[in-house]
Amino acid sequence: MAGRWRRRLGLRARVTLALGALSLAVAGSMAIVSWTLVTHSQLDQRRQEVLAEAEDDAGLVGLVLARGAAPGQAMAALTGTPPPVALLWRDGAWYSAGLRPEDLPARLSDPTHSGRTQLSPEQIGGRDVLLVEVPIRPTGSLPHAHGGGRYYAVFGLDAVESLERRLALILLAAAVGTGAAGIVLGRWLSDRALRPLRGLTEAAEAFAQGDVEARLEAAGDPDLMGLARSFNETAEAFGRRVAADARFAGDVSHELRTPLTTMLNSLELMENRRDELPDRLREPLDLLAGDLARFRTLVVDLIEISRDDTASHCDHDERERIEIMRLCRHTAAATVGRDVRVDGPDELYLDGDKRRLARVVANLVANAETHGHGVRRIEVTGCGARLCVAVEDHGPGVAPAERDRIFQRFARSVDPAGSDSGGVGLGLAIVERHLSWHGGGVLIEDADGGGARFVAWVPWDRRLRP
Amino acid sequence: MRRVLRLALEDEGYEMLEAATGREGIAALRLAPDVVLLDLMLPDTDGFGVCRCIRRDSAVPVIIVTARTDSHDIVAGLEAGADDYVTKPLVAKELSARIRALLRRTRSVEDVVFEAFTVGELELDVEAATCRRAGVELSLTRTEFRLLAELARAEGRVCSRDHLLEKVWGYGYFGDSRLVDVHIRRLRKKVERDPATPEYVVTARGMGYRLVPG
Repeated sequence: MAGRWRRRLGLRARVTLALGALSLAVAGSMAIVSWTLVTHSQLDQRRQEVLAEAEDDAGLVGLVLARGAAPGQAMAALTGTPPPVALLWRDGAWYSAGLRPEDLPARLSDPTHSGRTQLSPEQIGGRDVLLVEVPIRPTGSLPHAHGGGRYYAVFGLDAVESLERRLALILLAAAVGTGAAGIVLGRWLSDRALRPLRGLTEAAEAFAQGDVEARLEAAGDPDLMGLARSFNETAEAFGRRVAADARFAGDVSHELRTPLTTMLNSLELMENRRDELPDRLREPLDLLAGDLARFRTLVVDLIEISRDDTASHCDHDERERIEIMRLCRHTAAATVGRDVRVDGPDELYLDGDKRRLARVVANLVANAETHGHGVRRIEVTGCGARLCVAVEDHGPGVAPAERDRIFQRFARSVDPAGSDSGGVGLGLAIVERHLSWHGGGVLIEDADGGGARFVAWVPWDRRLRP
Repeated sequence: MRRVLRLALEDEGYEMLEAATGREGIAALRLAPDVVLLDLMLPDTDGFGVCRCIRRDSAVPVIIVTARTDSHDIVAGLEAGADDYVTKPLVAKELSARIRALLRRTRSVEDVVFEAFTVGELELDVEAATCRRAGVELSLTRTEFRLLAELARAEGRVCSRDHLLEKVWGYGYFGDSRLVDVHIRRLRKKVERDPATPEYVVTARGMGYRLVPG
């Protein structure tokens, strides 16, 4: 269960909650302790006060009685604000000043109980009060001294109770506030602590998306130096490896170019003199021509793709303003050797690399020709911040499972007939690469009338004019 | 490769002179070829140096042959004075089309009816293929001159790179606009007083170039 929670809650949420709970617990216990201490000391103080007051009043009543006054008069002599709520028992009779004998608990109103000064918390009339009993000594100096009496007084706890209520409120508010502050602090702390991790996440994501230049900034944090260093070293090594691979492919294809030129031109010479060749040599010549053409495409494609691997991204020098419809028309016609239907509004302009974009269109059209039973039409649309060029074909479409794979290098189509369809498997990889050079991409859909629809898109500013 | 290209181009109807090294190539200039085909990778010196050497005393059209398609080699070759470039692997038929385009346009200068332009202090005599600035003759290659004449013909309107590629180099839609850009740079070095702040050949940002009277 805890494991599930941990998995569901992020590290940040956990740190935040933990700090919130911790501060709430600390503040709560502090509040309880202070509440207990304060209320106890307040109650103690109140007890001492009321005891002293009752003893004073009882002394006064005793004095008045000793002078021979009637007990009722003695009670009436008691003053104060508020006047004491008291009761006097003397010679078997009760004299009341606000307190009735039946209010007293039975154990105290029993005339025979041994009287001594005592204080007890009671409930009288539904209120919590302090009841004080003070014995009044018989005044022995007089000849027929009366027996002793007992003085009772009741004191309210209103002041203490209201203080308790206010204190409770304040402490509760303080505890809740501290808890909330704990959560805020936890959030801030975890944000701060995780900020470098966010950098790592961003760097790793950029790296995963093919930006081999992505590096992690350790920014002098000794705790993160190790991680940053290993990440950067890995990225560095990987980048070197990628660059070396690309350079190797590029070098190999460069080295192949010169002999390839010799082969192509020798073949051309032979084909120009085809009539002079014996019949038996014509078929091998055709075979050689077919494979040499494919070899040429491969070498050119390899150079194309390795060049972009090493070239810096978004070299703006190579950008120019392009009318995209015109580019599509020219490229498609040059690729398939006939006019291709291009739908879309004229006058759509784009700042891009003409050579790369022409290559994209050419490769998509060539792909439609070799794998899609021929190109059906090209549709150019500008929507929002994207300019889309869709190439539709007459083929069976591309199965969803294949849609990622076919953009990989040397991913040949799985042709059930087993026939070689003529591609070398770099065309679509180059398409993707050139589009991502422009900050765009390519996706495959099903065309409305059946067949595949390859949609190449690039970021676009609709306000561009020639 | 050189030998097979000679064979293939001879097959296309050209008369070929072969030079195995840069030194031999420069020596062969005495025979006044119509076009020079220059491989940038030479056994003795580098092709850029040979190109500059040719340019010192000849306006002969030069096509460089490069194995590299990256900007650096092509731009450096054009800066060194080449008129056009082809990349390996090249096929004699395609190369022959380029040579024909180059010869046609260089020859056509002589075929053009009398045309002359005066733009500010610049005077262009198309018939004589000469250009003077404030009366002083400038030494332009034939391609540079064609480019300037084409800009002058537009009478101050903007010429797109596509237009210039088609008119000056005979390329269709897929010409390399670097050809135009580098030639414009070379042209400015000769035509402008301060090539960094051009007065005549002005860039119309994102659109092309135009020629204005100073």
